[in-house]
Amino acid sequence: MATILDTAASAGVFNTLLAAVDAAGLRSALEGPGPFTVFAPVDEAFAALPPGTVQTLVDNPPQLARILKYHVLAGLHQRADLIQQPQWDSLEGAPIPIRRADPFEIKNASVVTADVLCDNGVVHVIDRVILPG
Amino acid sequence: MTMLLLLLLPLLAGILLPLLPVGSLWVRRGALITALLQLVLGLWLWRHPPAGLSVSWLPRLGLDLSLGLDGLSLPLVLLTALITAMAVMASPEDQSRPRLFFPLLLATNLGLIGSFLARNALLFVLAYELILIPTTLLVAIWGGQRRAGAAIRFLVYGAVSGIALLAAVLAFGWLSPGGLDFSFTTLADHGLTLNQQRWILALVLLAFGLKLPAVPLHGWQPLTYSQAPTPVAMLLSGAVSKLGAYGLLRFGIGFLPDAWSAWAPWIAAIGAISAIYGALNAISQLEMRRLVAYSSLGHMGFLLLALAAATPLSLQGVVAQMLAHGMIIALLFCLVGLIEARTGTTAIPELSGLLNPQRGLPFTLGLMLLALMAAAGVPGLAGFVAELLVFEGSWVAFPVPTLVCLISSGLTAVYAVRLFNRVGFGRLDNDRADWISTRWSERAPALVLSTLVLITGLFPSMLTGFSEAATGPLALRSSEAVTVIALAPSSNPQLPA
Amino acid sequence: MTATIASERTKAPLIPPSTHRYADVIHRLEAGGSMLPDTPENLRQIIGIYKAYAVPMDFYWRDLLYIAERVFLNPLPAFKYFISQQYLDRPNSYAGEQSQLRIWRGTEKAHPELLEFMERGESGRMPKLLHHLWHDRVNMEFAEACMQAMFWHQGMGGRFNDYLVGDAYRANADRAIKAYFKGNPLMLGLYALFPEMFLEQVRQLSYYANLGLFWEVMAPVFFEMSDIYDEGGFKGVPDAMDFLVNGIFAVAGRPIYHHLYIGEECYEIIPKSEGFTWLYEAALPYVEAVFYRTSPFRGTKSYNAQAGQVPADQADFHYGILYADVYPVGSAGIPPTLLMQDMLHFLPPYLREIYQQHRRGEEDELVQLGITFQRSMYNVTSAVIQALRCALLYPLDDTDPEHLMANRRFFEAQMDRFLRPEARLSDIQTQDYR
Repeated sequence: MATILDTAASAGVFNTLLAAVDAAGLRSALEGPGPFTVFAPVDEAFAALPPGTVQTLVDNPPQLARILKYHVLAGLHQRADLIQQPQWDSLEGAPIPIRRADPFEIKNASVVTADVLCDNGVVHVIDRVILPG
Repeated sequence: MTMLLLLLLPLLAGILLPLLPVGSLWVRRGALITALLQLVLGLWLWRHPPAGLSVSWLPRLGLDLSLGLDGLSLPLVLLTALITAMAVMASPEDQSRPRLFFPLLLATNLGLIGSFLARNALLFVLAYELILIPTTLLVAIWGGQRRAGAAIRFLVYGAVSGIALLAAVLAFGWLSPGGLDFSFTTLADHGLTLNQQRWILALVLLAFGLKLPAVPLHGWQPLTYSQAPTPVAMLLSGAVSKLGAYGLLRFGIGFLPDAWSAWAPWIAAIGAISAIYGALNAISQLEMRRLVAYSSLGHMGFLLLALAAATPLSLQGVVAQMLAHGMIIALLFCLVGLIEARTGTTAIPELSGLLNPQRGLPFTLGLMLLALMAAAGVPGLAGFVAELLVFEGSWVAFPVPTLVCLISSGLTAVYAVRLFNRVGFGRLDNDRADWISTRWSERAPALVLSTLVLITGLFPSMLTGFSEAATGPLALRSSEAVTVIALAPSSNPQLPA
Repeated sequence: MTATIASERTKAPLIPPSTHRYADVIHRLEAGGSMLPDTPENLRQIIGIYKAYAVPMDFYWRDLLYIAERVFLNPLPAFKYFISQQYLDRPNSYAGEQSQLRIWRGTEKAHPELLEFMERGESGRMPKLLHHLWHDRVNMEFAEACMQAMFWHQGMGGRFNDYLVGDAYRANADRAIKAYFKGNPLMLGLYALFPEMFLEQVRQLSYYANLGLFWEVMAPVFFEMSDIYDEGGFKGVPDAMDFLVNGIFAVAGRPIYHHLYIGEECYEIIPKSEGFTWLYEAALPYVEAVFYRTSPFRGTKSYNAQAGQVPADQADFHYGILYADVYPVGSAGIPPTLLMQDMLHFLPPYLREIYQQHRRGEEDELVQLGITFQRSMYNVTSAVIQALRCALLYPLDDTDPEHLMANRRFFEAQMDRFLRPEARLSDIQTQDYR
């Protein structure tokens, strides 16, 4: 198995996410032992945001890091685990609501692929960037 | 001859105006010019006092065309001319049926001036009766929704008043030994017994009490004032009602002093009751015209009190109050009319926030504040001078009724503040408040009246200066009592030193 | 993104119609519209007022930052509205050549109309001090009232307020205060005696910075909208709303911070690294505090709190522009009037013309433009609602009925706030409300 970031890199659909992680300076943290649960938006999810949104964030690493941290939970939580609770506190601080078990939906994003296990956690692929609030 | 001009002006204009073509702007302008000329003429007569005029008319009936202008009638002639002019200005520029409306106003003016100038009781009765018909028509044709009822009630009360007056005058003629001579000089010197005087005074009180009006003869007043169109309400309250006080002064105090003295306490009591009744009713009114009407009723009570007291000071107060109240009440009706023209209502609960500088009627409401303060007797304005004279003059004669009137004067401030607070402050109704602001031509009459209220308040001699010489001899009682009371040795036993 | 939203605007009949009192408005929102009806007259009015609003706003944000960063704790801040040339020339981060994200194609300097007004005012050329005393100037008091509304309501989402009461902030503020009053034993002594009072003042200054940074974005947004409209760019009210939605997203990540400058030295009271964002820490609290809540004791109407005329819960406050009775406007000194007065100076000619054609013409321009402003702020609020829907919920053309119902519930919950009688939502549906 590989780390979360390695897994993402090899998948090839998380280029924006990975660039963002680097810009926000979160790479080293995510390469740590964790474990983490990461909701990983695909490239199209970032592309769907209005123009300028990503650029402003990339220009401002602390703010970008905050949005990215909203996609991460502490601990390793697979789908079966996640649906037990109505919401989970993200590393950003704000909770991520679990909206539906089947089809699996968190907040306003659908989980495209759940339970991708890695060395230091688990990745759930989502089709939309989730925002706190 | 100049005095005759005062009468000829409205008479001629009243005949000529209807002959103008339909839609001519000169009907309204003509009426205004007539009234203004009359005012100028009156002012000229003030500076150049005319000699009495007496032309025999129907000698067998004792009717002479005998006119005179003294310090008592001059201010009232001026007031009448002023209020008439203001009433014409306050009429809408597109007054419906102007060729009837303005001649009727002028006919009312003719009757009023005639009454004030008359030096023959029968002539007075004629002029007095002349007022009733045009005013009734004005209310009946141009009045509010309940104009028919108001006009009928006004007519009935007015007719009773006229009949009572005619009866009183005829009784004078029949009972006095000199035969059918109705000239004022004869009447002042009649030699009737006290009992006869009492009967006649009862008729006089009925006649003028209805006109004034005083409680309990006021049944027509709130309805008529609230239904009459604004110019007519101004004329009725500002000038016609003063005829009641004038009549009481001439006939009651002037010709029947003994009976008057005997009944004075009761008259004072009625005055006090009118004052307090008017004020309390005004407080409870939900409609602005009715509020102003009851306020007027209350102030008429002050007049009655001052007449009852009949001290030199209180009689000066009567004249001052007639002038001040005439201007203030006409101003109030004028302003209420302006508010109604814009907002479409005079209902107090429906109005608020009219002081709003952008969308309200700040100018109108500003003048209304002045008018209400004047009505409440705030120093510096006309009402204060008049009320002070009335109360100071009456206190020596009737302290308790005076006190009641003082309280009701205080209540004036209550309804004034209440009205202003409800209508002026608070939230302006969004659905209603999108009208054009008042034009200067509409504001003009209110502005003129306000200016006069302010000026006469600052220079009170303008209210009293006319009448001092005329009312002095009529006084039945001395004002000296004030001094007497003040100088009376203390009744408390002196403590030993 | 404009294309994305346009494609969302196809109404799916997958869910039954709403039974809400504002069902019409909700259906319009679900179709991608604004709370403000889409009429040419409405578009004209709101764009005109955006422009008139943006000019004084161009002063507001500069002076707010000047006060937060330079005037700071000056115990006698008599000249806090006398902005320094440096701040007047401060390049806007979202306009001009130098900006990383250029929202307005115009210049980064203060707007020329603003400079002209500051020079001449209504009363002609005279010294700045006389303009100030004669109150012939931009009314910063309005901007401060907005800041105070935000400061006072607090807790409207975002982390800003939590941070202000934390130890990190306390330490930063302490350092800044001590540096600011260096060599001033009197003020330092007072600080030693009443540290909380000074701290609270600094918190307020942090809100100055917050609002200044918020408006720095809005001014170029509105200028650009006015320019696009003048070029014939907007086809309707929804276009104008979409522009705002996109703008909100584009700058959502802008850092919100509070720096103090003493000479050239910078003290970071709220560092950018705290991760505070324009959307969460400034825009949303601003909309909540200023559009919805504000405070009741400002205006011609007085309320009796003992008689329950003021809600016990601050969240129920409803004195903002969306509920405002614009009619009392015109009374001196109350913040809404001050804003109306500011906007009056910069009305575009076509808006002036609209007002002059109405009954009282120039006489009640303040009220008329106040109501226009109300319309325009309903449109801004619509943009915020759509942006939130976009960020937190589902696309309008989603095919999952459950998602559409979630959108519906969100819209209905937003409309519930306008059920109280003071709300002007139903008024602005017609053009008669002037």
